[in-house]
Amino acid sequence: MNNSLKGSVPTDREVILGILNNSADTLNKLYKAYFAMVLQFILNNNGDEDDAKDVYQEAIIILYNKIKEGNFELSSKLKTYIYSVCRRIWLKKLSQRSKKTGNITDYEDVFAVEEDVEQHEEKDLQFVKMQSALDHLGEPCKTIIQDFYIHSLSMQDICEKFGYTNTDNAKTQKYKCLQRLKKIFFQP
Amino acid sequence: MPAAVKENIFSTLVIEMRNDLELDAIIEDYLLGKLNPQETEALEQLRRNDPAVDHKVVSHKFFLESMEMFAAQIRLKEQLNSIHAEINVEGLASSLRPHPSRVVQLWRKQKSAIAVAASFLVLSLVSVYSIQHNTKQKEQLVLLSNQVNKAIKTQNSLIRKINNTTTTAGKPVIQNSFGGTGFAISTNGYILTNLHVINGADSLYVQNNKGESFKVKSIYTDPQNDIAILKINDKNFSHLSSIPYTIKKNTSSIGEIVYTLGYPKDDAVLGEGYVSSKNGFVGDTTQYQVSIPVNPGNSGGPLLDANGNLVGIISGKPDQTEGAAFAIKSKYILEAMRAIPQDSLGTNRLSSNKKSMLSGLKRTKQIEKLQDYVFMIKVYN
Repeated sequence: MNNSLKGSVPTDREVILGILNNSADTLNKLYKAYFAMVLQFILNNNGDEDDAKDVYQEAIIILYNKIKEGNFELSSKLKTYIYSVCRRIWLKKLSQRSKKTGNITDYEDVFAVEEDVEQHEEKDLQFVKMQSALDHLGEPCKTIIQDFYIHSLSMQDICEKFGYTNTDNAKTQKYKCLQRLKKIFFQP
Repeated sequence: MPAAVKENIFSTLVIEMRNDLELDAIIEDYLLGKLNPQETEALEQLRRNDPAVDHKVVSHKFFLESMEMFAAQIRLKEQLNSIHAEINVEGLASSLRPHPSRVVQLWRKQKSAIAVAASFLVLSLVSVYSIQHNTKQKEQLVLLSNQVNKAIKTQNSLIRKINNTTTTAGKPVIQNSFGGTGFAISTNGYILTNLHVINGADSLYVQNNKGESFKVKSIYTDPQNDIAILKINDKNFSHLSSIPYTIKKNTSSIGEIVYTLGYPKDDAVLGEGYVSSKNGFVGDTTQYQVSIPVNPGNSGGPLLDANGNLVGIISGKPDQTEGAAFAIKSKYILEAMRAIPQDSLGTNRLSSNKKSMLSGLKRTKQIEKLQDYVFMIKVYN
């Protein structure tokens, strides 16, 4: 069914070490190893491919951050952990959409991950705030800020990209954008 | 408001804004550790003197941290998206989507349960099959033993048939008597022989090498291994001195030199040869095949190795092969001995623990010692 994806399922230890060492290859393998499982779960519980992608990525991010924080204890199989997190997230989303959640079709064992999911949601609120602040910023500010802070472009690159006559002008523009962004971000 | 004043205010605003921007830039450089020591010192001075500046530093620090976390998250998401793009989601989805057929749905949902049920089914089928198979094997075994029984009939049991005709009071009385061999397993008169030697006997006697006869009776029989234990029941019998041979614990190897002493005629006869096969008649694992020429009357005779250890009991020979005989393995002697009351055998009994008194002796000396313990069995019916 999904042999092509399961071809190289990394061991749980490999995943943890790989993530701690920022291995893109490990992340790739991890992602491909369990996507089919979550896709099956979502598709069979009133969701579509995009829902599966969102839920799965959220779960991977939760796992990733947990490992990075260094307090991830492998008390169960990663597979079970990911499935449980996805299930929890999806149940929440379903209830938010006021769809019935009574009859969930399960494919794997489940254990309690409420705490992890809630912690992630709190953090996610901050990100949502930042994202909406950026969206309110308008162009070219949004792109300048993203390029500098997220994609780590130098002021020289930004200067050339936006056609400023010199980097000082670009810098001034960046700080103007930053000032506005902070204002929106810190708005209660 | 006059234009000049307006322009003045505006320029002140611009200057303030410019200062603000510069301050922001300096604060960011400060937080990113890009300032030189003097500039750092100057800014820290300013923070201490101006709470507004300090607040700016703190809030910018918080903002930068939030931005950094946000950026990390965005970068991770981008990474995940690029991985996601490599997956053929459509193809996967079509195979995982709820199937219109309820059967397939059921299969997917209950996959593990079905797997467990299926393996249980397979297991029970296998065990049922193997039970049947076992029963079959048993039947074959029974058949086989029937064959063995038949074969035993075609085996020449090595019993000597003596037609003894004596005339008593002018009336000829025909008395059939058979003979075999036996050997002592204890000093107080217990003698072991083949069951087929004494089967159907009316009366039993043993005769030693000096020609003295003693009345014996059968104490124990083991039809499976063709073993019988007799007890001399005669007041003329005096105890033997200690048994010179011992029981060999391990099985003998092919090629091991063995010999037997028996009574195919009225005097003891030595037969010598070697173990020629680990199994006896049609693969009977309770027996050896030995290459010793034996004759009727040898049945029940002891088979010993060169060191005087009891290897087996001569019990029969194949009717087609010349010069071969079968011998029951010695461990069945022990089994038979365990089957009778232990104290009845007395302290001086045959055992596997002692060292053979025949060990290291020349064959002639061995026979000299041995012959007092080998008896002719006389069967009358």
